[in-house]
Amino acid sequence: MTVSSPESTRSDSLDLTEPAQRAPSKRGTISSWLYLVPALVVFAVFMFYPLGRSFVLSFQGNDIMGRPAGFVGVSHYARLIQDPSFHRVLWNTFAFVLLTVIPVVALSLFLSLLLHQRLRGIQFFRTAFASPFAFSVATASVIFAVMFNQATGVLNGILGVFGIDRVGWLTDPSVALISIALTTVWMQIGYNLLVLSSGLGSVPDDLIEAARLDGAGGWRLQRNILIPLLTPQLFFLIVTGTIHSLQSFGQIHILTRGGPQNSTTTLVYSIYEQAFAYSNSNFGYASAQAVVLLFVVILITLAQFGVLERKVFYR
Amino acid sequence: MTPRGQRRITARAVGGAVVALGLLLSGCSGGGGGDDTKAPDKDVIAKSDAVVNVDFWHSMDGTNGETLNKLVDDFNSKNDKIVIKPVFQGNYDDAITKYKAAVQSNSTPSMVQIYDIGSQFMIDSKTVAPIQAFIDRDEFDVSDIQPNIAGYYVVNDKMWSMPFNTSMPVLYYNKTLFEKAGLDPETPPLTLKDVGAAAEKLSKKNGGPAEFGFNAAIYGWFVEQEIASNGDLYCSPDNGRGADRATEFTFDNEGAVEFASWWADMVKSGVAGNTGRDTGDAQSAFKSGTIGISLESTGALGGMQAAAESQGFELGVGYFPRVEENDFGPIIGGASLYITGEGHTDAEQEAAWQFIQFVAEPANQAIWHTGTGYFPISKAALEDPVDVKWREEFPQFDVAIQQLEDTKLSTPTQGCAAGVMPQARQAVEGALEAIVQGGDAQTELTKAAEGLQMQLDDYNDSVGS
Repeated sequence: MTVSSPESTRSDSLDLTEPAQRAPSKRGTISSWLYLVPALVVFAVFMFYPLGRSFVLSFQGNDIMGRPAGFVGVSHYARLIQDPSFHRVLWNTFAFVLLTVIPVVALSLFLSLLLHQRLRGIQFFRTAFASPFAFSVATASVIFAVMFNQATGVLNGILGVFGIDRVGWLTDPSVALISIALTTVWMQIGYNLLVLSSGLGSVPDDLIEAARLDGAGGWRLQRNILIPLLTPQLFFLIVTGTIHSLQSFGQIHILTRGGPQNSTTTLVYSIYEQAFAYSNSNFGYASAQAVVLLFVVILITLAQFGVLERKVFYR
Repeated sequence: MTPRGQRRITARAVGGAVVALGLLLSGCSGGGGGDDTKAPDKDVIAKSDAVVNVDFWHSMDGTNGETLNKLVDDFNSKNDKIVIKPVFQGNYDDAITKYKAAVQSNSTPSMVQIYDIGSQFMIDSKTVAPIQAFIDRDEFDVSDIQPNIAGYYVVNDKMWSMPFNTSMPVLYYNKTLFEKAGLDPETPPLTLKDVGAAAEKLSKKNGGPAEFGFNAAIYGWFVEQEIASNGDLYCSPDNGRGADRATEFTFDNEGAVEFASWWADMVKSGVAGNTGRDTGDAQSAFKSGTIGISLESTGALGGMQAAAESQGFELGVGYFPRVEENDFGPIIGGASLYITGEGHTDAEQEAAWQFIQFVAEPANQAIWHTGTGYFPISKAALEDPVDVKWREEFPQFDVAIQQLEDTKLSTPTQGCAAGVMPQARQAVEGALEAIVQGGDAQTELTKAAEGLQMQLDDYNDSVGS
């Protein structure tokens, strides 16, 4: 490959990192810790303490007020393992991640390559496709709820024109999760598109020219030059998109409230339901699920770093 | 506190089945054995120089909130030593969750509005000063309170909170579509069979004028209402209304099974739509003028009426359907006002009671009724000129009032008082969803009832009974 030329652009960044590699003096260590104190205090109060509390709560029962009431050992975790509805929740969670992350990244990659063309008026389409980024989760969900309405929604109206039976977008347990994923894909495409477009924009022109001179054009240019150069952005989007997806809440809350028949109850939504909805106040059980979520996020992220990062091409 | 033995005697004496308001008044003093909640001295505010602040948590937004604030302002301007401070706390579920958090951190408000199905929880929270203590002290005349409405808030012969905003479900139907389908627009169907027959005639599937003959939200509340309308019990013993707590859910009874399968059959055959749990979605479907019949709260009447006018159809209102004609009816739920005893001074409790009495006055109930569409809790409010004129303008509201007055107060129509009612409603919704998707009604409802047993037992254990 002729992609060795960007090496030269690296020299100035190397210069910047050089001093930091020197062994720091003792005084330097103390002052650097002092600089970190404010951030660490904030982290301790708002992150580490609640995290620790969640662990503790996950081993405790609750009275009707939600107050911790006695040590119950690992019984919450035992219940999680046995509870078929929790297995369903885990399944929903993974299905939701797959149904959102893969389509979002694939679709926005496709669109960003398309929008990278130099055509008259392309700026309009770039803006239009990125605009979902400007919608809040609540706004987008409410709009989709109107479109998904089984009796009066526009989607079933369009199907009706073609003589196709109505679909229970949000009321059929086998479809509802897909509908929410669809909404989520629409919402996230804007952001993904922005990241990928800026990635494409930073590909040096001389590189593309060189590739063209070597006879690579169209699809070959995209597959062998542009996409490899985009892998850092793609990797970033897959990792953050997965975490984002695991933590989705707003669209589920607005569109289905975890229904029908718990077919859209993901881990985060289940935590909410156990802790805050329907006057439950099962903070112990909810905390046990939160601990599970924490480990799920950590494991998936580690796996992604282990498997995918090797394929990332850092310039 | 172990007042259970003593309470049981009183409730048995009452008979457990029918709680007439007269009995409630006379029988209450005996029932509260071992009670530490006595009303404060009547002149506690007059004696002190300080202004009493009453934090009041509520869940009324939109026009309901505006009407409430109007009443509060009116009260505050008439009482220079009391300041009621209303604070909106989100919907009913949010409010009860926040109340729990406030109990944990000792920061409860002096007065709080809690929904019907939170009643047993509030009693068990041991933070409430029962309204009954104030009623007894003042010999407050409760005969003006609509007995069905008061009945909901009486548990074990004791009134725990003052009913505030009350609604019932009714049957909404599109008169214009009824006419087009050749049905009599002036006679709304009453039994499930009749509603089903009308829906079939209305639906596009059978050549009728409506997209769907029937569509209502998958809402657990409707199942509670159907069970009451059939005169059945939702939980046992005695809907948890007697001396003994509810220890078992019985909502998988014959009437409920019939109701659920009736609904599911209509959905399966395409006669009925299924817009899911969201009541807003079901409402907007009906408001679009393409649905023949729906079920909704009386609280939605104002919005339905407005939509009917703008969409150009005529709105009809009928009684909530039941398996067969009877003199039962829906449960009179809604929400009520609790005075928080624990952690609040006598003066605050007394000030809250003053406000509660003020709101219950017929003239103010007429303002409340006409401003929000909720029932007036006061019978005299219906004779208030403001109210009379308003009902002349919106005769549909009369149907709701008639349904309320036609309903015989009984244990079934008092509804179930169980600590885990919010969870039960949610479980029933899950079952209803499964049934509408093709599950067997009896199996699903029984499964839901059994699934709740552990939660109910845990709850009862943790409150020590």
